Amino acid sequence: MKTRTESIERALILNAEGRLDFSAAAGFQKDIEQALSSAQQGSVGLIIDCNGLEYVSSAGLRVFMLAARTAQRTSVYFALCSLQQSVREVFELSGFNRVMTVQPDRATALAGLRGKS
Amino acid sequence: MKEQRTCVPSEAGQLPVLAKFLQDFWSAAQLPAGQLLPFEIALEEIFMNVVMHGTPAGCKTSVEVSLALSGDSLTLAVEDEGPAFDPMTLPAPDVQAPLEERQVGGLGVYFVRQMMDTVSYARVGPRNRLRMSKHVER
Repeated sequence: MKTRTESIERALILNAEGRLDFSAAAGFQKDIEQALSSAQQGSVGLIIDCNGLEYVSSAGLRVFMLAARTAQRTSVYFALCSLQQSVREVFELSGFNRVMTVQPDRATALAGLRGKS
Repeated sequence: MKEQRTCVPSEAGQLPVLAKFLQDFWSAAQLPAGQLLPFEIALEEIFMNVVMHGTPAGCKTSVEVSLALSGDSLTLAVEDEGPAFDPMTLPAPDVQAPLEERQVGGLGVYFVRQMMDTVSYARVGPRNRLRMSKHVER
């Protein structure tokens, strides 16, 4: 699993790539916490682009859940976008797609952020 | 009938070994990639449950994993030497709860129940045996 960040408009984008299983969860949690703290300091939103994410298990979902809670508490706009079929299936089964913002693509996630400010 | 079996120590570090075991079986049996997910999830969630909750502290136990393809049904079986425990007795998580009240515990087993066609548990001598089967389109 790899992550890569970029800045677009008023958003920090964290690109998640590979498999988010139990083995990858701790490292991903560090990356996402760091991104959340940068987003908060820079008063920008955080978008997790999952275009390259191939797999997520409950251990991976836990990381997204903790991140979404932190974002809510610190008033950082937080959204996921571009979920592949296998990842979307796990989000839908868990109902996580209803408790966090999940957008079909990056453009929609950015538009959602513009709508907030 | 095509069957493969492997045995690993019940340690989190073995997860990639098991993921590869499943991948290799999948490729060798020429099963469609689009139907792998339920088996990947079941293997990780059940194996990690054994590692986290079914391995007495200080004990070195092993976990046996097998895959058996019979006609168009694939069965994944996980056997461990931990204390008797049927994961299917775990209460289902509340998948409607708001974010603040969400728990991840129980979610893995819930996925297995939802994604597999049949799941059966048996205590066989000193071992737990969980069998999970699902129809695969070929």
